[in-house]
Amino acid sequence: LRCLWLVSGYLPESEFYKIEAILRYNVQIGLGVMQGLLELGIRGVTVSDVRGFGSQGGSTERHEGSEFSEDTFITKVKMEIVVCKEQVEAVVDKIIEKARTGEIGDGKIFLIPVSDVIRIRTGERGKQAERMTGGLSDRLSSVVSIS
Amino acid sequence: MQNHLGGEIARVRVNRSRLHLLRTGQAATNPAAVAFYNYPRSLRRIGTSKAKHQSSVVSPELKLHGRARHFVERPTALVATMLLTKPHASLAVSSSPLPKNGPIANRIAPLAPSASRRRGGLRVAAASVTEAQPSQSATPPAAAADAAAALSRVDVLSEALPFIQRFKGKTVVVKYGGAAMKSPALQASVIRDLVLLSCVGVRPVLVHGGGPEINSWLARVGVEPQFRNGLRVTDAVTMEVVEMVLVGKVNKQLVSLISLSGATAVGLCGKDARLLTARPSPDAASLGFVGEVSRVDPTVLHPIISSGHIPVIATVAADQTGQAYNINADTAAGEIAAAVGAEKLLLLTDVSGILADRDDPGSLVKEVDVAGVRRMVAEGKVGGGMIPKVECCVRAIAQGVRTASIIDGRVPHSLLLELLTDQGTGTMITG
Repeated sequence: LRCLWLVSGYLPESEFYKIEAILRYNVQIGLGVMQGLLELGIRGVTVSDVRGFGSQGGSTERHEGSEFSEDTFITKVKMEIVVCKEQVEAVVDKIIEKARTGEIGDGKIFLIPVSDVIRIRTGERGKQAERMTGGLSDRLSSVVSIS
Repeated sequence: MQNHLGGEIARVRVNRSRLHLLRTGQAATNPAAVAFYNYPRSLRRIGTSKAKHQSSVVSPELKLHGRARHFVERPTALVATMLLTKPHASLAVSSSPLPKNGPIANRIAPLAPSASRRRGGLRVAAASVTEAQPSQSATPPAAAADAAAALSRVDVLSEALPFIQRFKGKTVVVKYGGAAMKSPALQASVIRDLVLLSCVGVRPVLVHGGGPEINSWLARVGVEPQFRNGLRVTDAVTMEVVEMVLVGKVNKQLVSLISLSGATAVGLCGKDARLLTARPSPDAASLGFVGEVSRVDPTVLHPIISSGHIPVIATVAADQTGQAYNINADTAAGEIAAAVGAEKLLLLTDVSGILADRDDPGSLVKEVDVAGVRRMVAEGKVGGGMIPKVECCVRAIAQGVRTASIIDGRVPHSLLLELLTDQGTGTMITG
């Protein structure tokens, strides 16, 4: 079963990937995504308020009742999470599950390869730095240790 | 019997041992008299020794003068029955599509037998006006029934507290239409509920549709309504009539009803302060001046709501050139809810909600999330007329409204049931 996690198939290959999700500015959805990630075991997220638009083919996005297309920036939420390549799929699926409404303006997720992760407090690098106590890595490794 | 002012009064012998009240029949027919008995207990004296042989002024139209006081013996049971028997008479009738209301009906049902007993006692007493010997058997159970009724009433009120706290200060958008708009009794119930919500601190916004008024006025003006694929074609003349009826008649009628119920309302249409800006809908070529919401500017609603008025919005709006369009009230309500940051959107409909199985009226879906309801639409479980309402709910939730409910407008007090009880009524779509 361990081998399934190794096949992430993203290029360029990297140990870590940053998942950058740009979501609609909806507090309820944001909280839902956060709860989902916490359930999953993701213990570190960076959130920022950004503005943007991304309309396609003339379709308009509704924000607070009004329709917007390419000429105005709308408030969005950006979430950045750095995880090991084995955890990427689970996190992406969870974000989509919690943030999807089906309406235009749900947002996009970008995967960016990350060369290294360094913890400032201890100076750890690599997998040690990425690992968070009680997080997804611990859960996955505990599953593995049984077999 | 008349008093010196020429008004109708009933001579009431108030005696603690004989809980006996005569009515001139106003209680059944005069809602003003019913409202009169809603005065708090502190303003009522109950059978003191001074009250013996006092004549009671029953008709509320008479002005109080001198030492005339309202000595009303034990009205609580009567008030309770008037406030509570009407809803649960209909709850008992429409039992099957509303399985959720079982607990409420059960809780209030014990009142019904005692109330009818009380009522029976009244009728007997009213019949025997001249001889004043009431049935003694009515007294002890009536006293117990009063206590039970009063306790039940405050019990229900106390249980509503967490819901009142949750919604206090929050805006709730109610889209009003369908059967609730046609029947005067249901209309009065909805208006009363709105006023109640306004009093407990919830901030309601009422958005209304057209109802049958448009058709009747088109007939009066002499315009033949045209239909294409079941939808009305709104040409220029029809649009004028629609605007006049919606904004001039229906809107102001609702404002006036709210005023009569004790709150204040301000009637707006989409054109006022550019609340709604319309654009022609994609099928406007065939259906005429039917529009969709292009922009919402809720600035004008904030001072109205913060002053304590209830905005009543007619969904007629103008486009950039000033041409009036009629916007579907459901979609407009959803966009207005998104614009004002409403906590809840309520759509009053003529069905009990979304049914999991169309043939089984008991299979009401009480709560569903956006993903689930999209699945139901894809599977075809949602009927044709419900799909636009469901879409508008989903759009509102995507834009920040916490929950959206499709509730049964044919049930009296459906608004209160949905907001102030755990069971709710109809289908609630959450994020």
